[in-house]
Amino acid sequence: MNHARFPFRAPTWPAGVPRPAPERRVGLDYDHEWSRRYPVRLARAIVLDNVTRPAARLIAPATVRGAEHLRHVASPVIFAANHASHLDTPLLLTTLPVRFRHRTVVAAAADHFFDRRWKAAVWSFGVAAIPFERARVNRRSADVAAELLGAGWNLVIFPEGGRSPDGWAQPFRPASAAYLARRTGRPVVPVHVNGTRHVLPKGGQRLPRRSPVSVVFGTPLTPDEGEDARRFAVRIETAVAVLADEVASDWWDARRRAARGATPSLRGPETTGWRRSWALDPRPKAGPDPWPSV
Amino acid sequence: MRSLVFERNLPRFAASRLASTLGSGRGAAVGPLRLLDTEPPALPGPGWVRVSPLLSGICGSDLATLDGRSSRYFEHVVSFPFVPGHEVVGVLETGGRVVIEPVLGCAARGIDPPCPACARGQLGNCERLAFGHLKPGLQTGYCADTGGGWSHAGLVAHESQLHPVPDAFLDEDAVVVEPVACATHAVCDAALGGGETVAVVGAGTLGLAVVAAVSALSAAGHVAAPGALFVGARYPHQRRLAGELGATAALAPDQLGRAVRRKTGSLSMADPRPRRPGGPLTGGADVVFDCVGSADSIGQSLAVVRPRGRVVLVGMPGRVHVDLAPLWHREVRLLGAYAYGTERLASGATARTFDLAFEVVAAHGLGRLVSATYPIERFEEAVQHAGAAGRRGSVKVAFDLRHKEARHGEQPHGDAHGDAHGDAHGGEQRHSDARHLARSTTSGRDGRPSTGGTS
Amino acid sequence: MTPRPGLVLEVDGSTPPTLFWHGERFVLEKLPEGSRVIYAPEPLVPLEDPVGAIRHALLHPLGDRDPLPALLWPGMRLTVCFDDVSLPLPPMQAPDVRQLVMEQVLDMAAEAGVDDVVLVAALALHRRMTEAELRHALGDRIYEAFAPSGLLTQHDAEDPDNLVHLGTTGKGEDVEINKRAATSDLLVYVNINLVAMDGGHKSVATGLASYRSLRHHHNPKTMVHSRSFMDAPSSELHSSNWRMGRLIADSGVKVFQIETTLNTDTFPRQFGFLQRREWEWSVRDRAMYAAAAAALDRTPPRVARQVFHSIRAPHALVSVQAGEVEAVHAVTTANIWKQQGVEVDGQTDILTMGLPYISPYNVNSIMNPILVACLGLGYFFNLYRGQPLVRRGGVVILHHPTPWEFHPGHHPSYIDFFEEVLSDTTDPVEISKTYEESFATDPWYVHLYRTGHAYHGVHPFYMWYWCAHALDHLGRVIVVGGDPAAVRRMGFSPATRLADALEMASDVVGRSPTLTHLHTPPLLLADVR
Repeated sequence: MNHARFPFRAPTWPAGVPRPAPERRVGLDYDHEWSRRYPVRLARAIVLDNVTRPAARLIAPATVRGAEHLRHVASPVIFAANHASHLDTPLLLTTLPVRFRHRTVVAAAADHFFDRRWKAAVWSFGVAAIPFERARVNRRSADVAAELLGAGWNLVIFPEGGRSPDGWAQPFRPASAAYLARRTGRPVVPVHVNGTRHVLPKGGQRLPRRSPVSVVFGTPLTPDEGEDARRFAVRIETAVAVLADEVASDWWDARRRAARGATPSLRGPETTGWRRSWALDPRPKAGPDPWPSV
Repeated sequence: MRSLVFERNLPRFAASRLASTLGSGRGAAVGPLRLLDTEPPALPGPGWVRVSPLLSGICGSDLATLDGRSSRYFEHVVSFPFVPGHEVVGVLETGGRVVIEPVLGCAARGIDPPCPACARGQLGNCERLAFGHLKPGLQTGYCADTGGGWSHAGLVAHESQLHPVPDAFLDEDAVVVEPVACATHAVCDAALGGGETVAVVGAGTLGLAVVAAVSALSAAGHVAAPGALFVGARYPHQRRLAGELGATAALAPDQLGRAVRRKTGSLSMADPRPRRPGGPLTGGADVVFDCVGSADSIGQSLAVVRPRGRVVLVGMPGRVHVDLAPLWHREVRLLGAYAYGTERLASGATARTFDLAFEVVAAHGLGRLVSATYPIERFEEAVQHAGAAGRRGSVKVAFDLRHKEARHGEQPHGDAHGDAHGDAHGGEQRHSDARHLARSTTSGRDGRPSTGGTS
Repeated sequence: MTPRPGLVLEVDGSTPPTLFWHGERFVLEKLPEGSRVIYAPEPLVPLEDPVGAIRHALLHPLGDRDPLPALLWPGMRLTVCFDDVSLPLPPMQAPDVRQLVMEQVLDMAAEAGVDDVVLVAALALHRRMTEAELRHALGDRIYEAFAPSGLLTQHDAEDPDNLVHLGTTGKGEDVEINKRAATSDLLVYVNINLVAMDGGHKSVATGLASYRSLRHHHNPKTMVHSRSFMDAPSSELHSSNWRMGRLIADSGVKVFQIETTLNTDTFPRQFGFLQRREWEWSVRDRAMYAAAAAALDRTPPRVARQVFHSIRAPHALVSVQAGEVEAVHAVTTANIWKQQGVEVDGQTDILTMGLPYISPYNVNSIMNPILVACLGLGYFFNLYRGQPLVRRGGVVILHHPTPWEFHPGHHPSYIDFFEEVLSDTTDPVEISKTYEESFATDPWYVHLYRTGHAYHGVHPFYMWYWCAHALDHLGRVIVVGGDPAAVRRMGFSPATRLADALEMASDVVGRSPTLTHLHTPPLLLADVR
């Protein structure tokens, strides 16, 4: 029943006048500079500490290990983690030491998180996401990340380029953490996140299911002289695998296996089908009997 | 002499509308219907005779009028003040009993040549209902000039409206001829194919009359015999009667869809994953007779009819809110069925609807549908009873005018047989009641649906 | 303390009232003096190391079978079948026995490098299990490893592409079972043998069969001649299944049968009074009974149903055996009798039973009137060996509210069966002749069975056939506290109180009848001498 006429409603465009194409403002072109302005940072810090963190605690009580490795590391650094769930990002951000937590940006897939303006805004605000081209080296997205590292911002990046489809890790891509580390000279901190796929699996239709998780930080790595991004990426992946081994067994056994080069691969067994899934570690035990005991 | 008169009175009309929200039939007490002393109506012209009503039924459309729920569409084919009552068996001054065919078509209105519809014998479709030497009025009982059945003053009828009643008929049998004629018309007009699945929604007087008409007319070979006749009825006595009148199965309303689905082997369109599978059927009944005319009943009819099937509206609808998407998508034929006239039979012959209706009534002894009668002095009670007929275990409620001297403060008639709740009204037994009671001893209560013929 | 065996109590003046189940409630009834009450044996002591016992059974199979690891090789087709949601009752506390057994089987398969593994829920014509039910039965680990890639399947008796006809038995019975299972190099079947009729050749021949095959033994004639189907040697149902099972074996399907028995620890500690003898109820038991009874009186039936269906039984594993079907089943049956057997002397005129809220076919669902009849006259009536507990022409009195209520998603064909079929006749033979075919082939039921969580269209018929033996044997069935309309629809007599029911029974069995009460659950098997 809208009978309002022109001055009181938006004008329509005359058919005879060509209409300029609307400016694309999503994906890699999204202007996320606003999300690092001081008032926004303050608001994000408040939300992170008072909403995101308790919420993450509630559905995914985390055991954090290795945070001491970060004590003497000079900011900014690149955090390179394995990736199994959308929960990884908020979990990682909220378990980072405060020194890093509020001055960290997250490289997020441009095609997934920045395809709509409102989504881009939500992620930019919530976790300080920046759009990142995940498939290949993209000059613009790499430039932006490097520039931010140069400006003192830490960077969280998932070198697998996406969440694991079957629970086992995918190969770490050289075009992400390794490339940026070589370009900026900043150290890479390997991080292993475990158990998030039980809480919020990829493709899951159900509500998140509470389950304990763990986050382990490793010692920072820097590219050796003459080491190319490809080889450095393998080294980062191995470092994360050692952290995974440490969670599964203990630190000493993990170190010894690492020394022998016998660290179990993050990518799982060389089999196919059900045996790959079967080899995954089971969901932690469910809670006690819900009936009150009399 | 006393008559019930319906006047144009807006405040009373509004009051009845309001009161009817408490329940059908509640509007009568506060509405525009009043008991007055009136003179017998004057004979409008040659060919007209006086009829003194014996019994006059209360019809669903009467209830809608008294409750102020009637469609405003009828404003132009009604003249005030009128005496309601179009289901009438009466006696002529010459002594013969007649049933009135109430539609006031061209013949009664003295219009010659008649309109095309009347010329074809389709009296119900007459195009001159507001013209001629009579005041507007679609039927006797809605016209200011003719009088109506709810009156001791009598009514006037054109000789074309008279149907002599066979001696074997009780007055109760004769008074249901008019509603049975409506049902007969609907059944003949639905063009039943042989072996079709037929569903009847609602089993008040009209629903039961449709069931009786389908079984009697198909038995006589006038219409094709259906493969199955399912009746959805809310009340146990309705299910029992429907079973006796020839329904394959008489079911509670929520069971109707399932029975039709089983019979026609169709699927249900809803996603099976939710707790309640059972949306509209993919197939369904070939013909559905909606004998209620409410939004719910039309909705249910559309849910159980097959694509390209027919839904026949027998009960009078008013302004209803119905989702017509299924009608559009399934290409359903929605047909109205009003009144009567001349029918074309399966044999190719034609017959007057009223003649067929007499056959149907005789075949099933439909006088048993008259559950209670009242003197017109107790019209509030009568109308309330008619409005709650199903709930009170009754079917047709009628006014009894056989008691000629309308004394003031008269006792109500005690004819409450078949009234499962036993709300008898005292008073003496009438001459016909004894015979009547003998026939209606089959009454009983059954807490659950029964399947016709086997229960 | 060693668990005590079952007991037949003779009611005397000092016997406290007896507990009767009544759907989602229970009541105490004073039985006439001289009545007998049959109590189940106490739960056996569980195995100390269930996983160890399972491994031992897999490595030391019975009969003509090699240990499981020797039967596994890379490149083989392995199918692991398991019992569906109808077992055990009530569903057991996690971890379910199926999970424990299948994790061991799959670990062995993984070690042996078997790539082609498919899991099949042996549903027969039951409803498909929901994700939550599968997760509960198999555990998250198995579910998550197999379900996403489509390797966790549920038997579909209406999928012509996944059925294979193996032949006909000497008696002309078609044997048509799940194709994947029949064409595997090894078929491992994981059973929970809650009662004596479960397992044996019935596992594969029934659980993985199609309607075409099932109708040869799921029919009124077979059921009337299964006396009882808890006692395989006298059960025509089992004879037929055994013929089919042998044909399946002969046609080259290699079955590695794993059967497990549970103890009768049926209710959590809080509800311990439900499985204790009334005169031994402690103060706590009595307080719990009073509190529960009072609370349930004030709880709407829907809520009470949800509460009861969330009960998880503390059933524990008491035996596990694996290997060749018949050798395994002989041991299993002996173990079940050890847990559930009670010796009873002679028959009775009147058998009373209190029916609980659950039957095999309404787990997480509504116990509709047909299931009430099936639980009472199909299952509990048949919990005997030798001769029925009640004499021929005797009376069974069921205690259950029997509401006219159905789960439209789980039991759609039951609704039509109740409205359309039972309003016509209650005679199983007549029903099977006139109506079975049209329900079994109704495309809507087939659709709901295959894609939803509905029992097959013909399933309510089977429920009624299960009652055939009892209907043939009994003089009258009375339901105490039942919805009169629903009870009458099934041809039974409703009674308001037990005393009225006994009065009505006297028309059939005379003024001074003998009376026996089946105090179950927990389950028991009567060995009637």
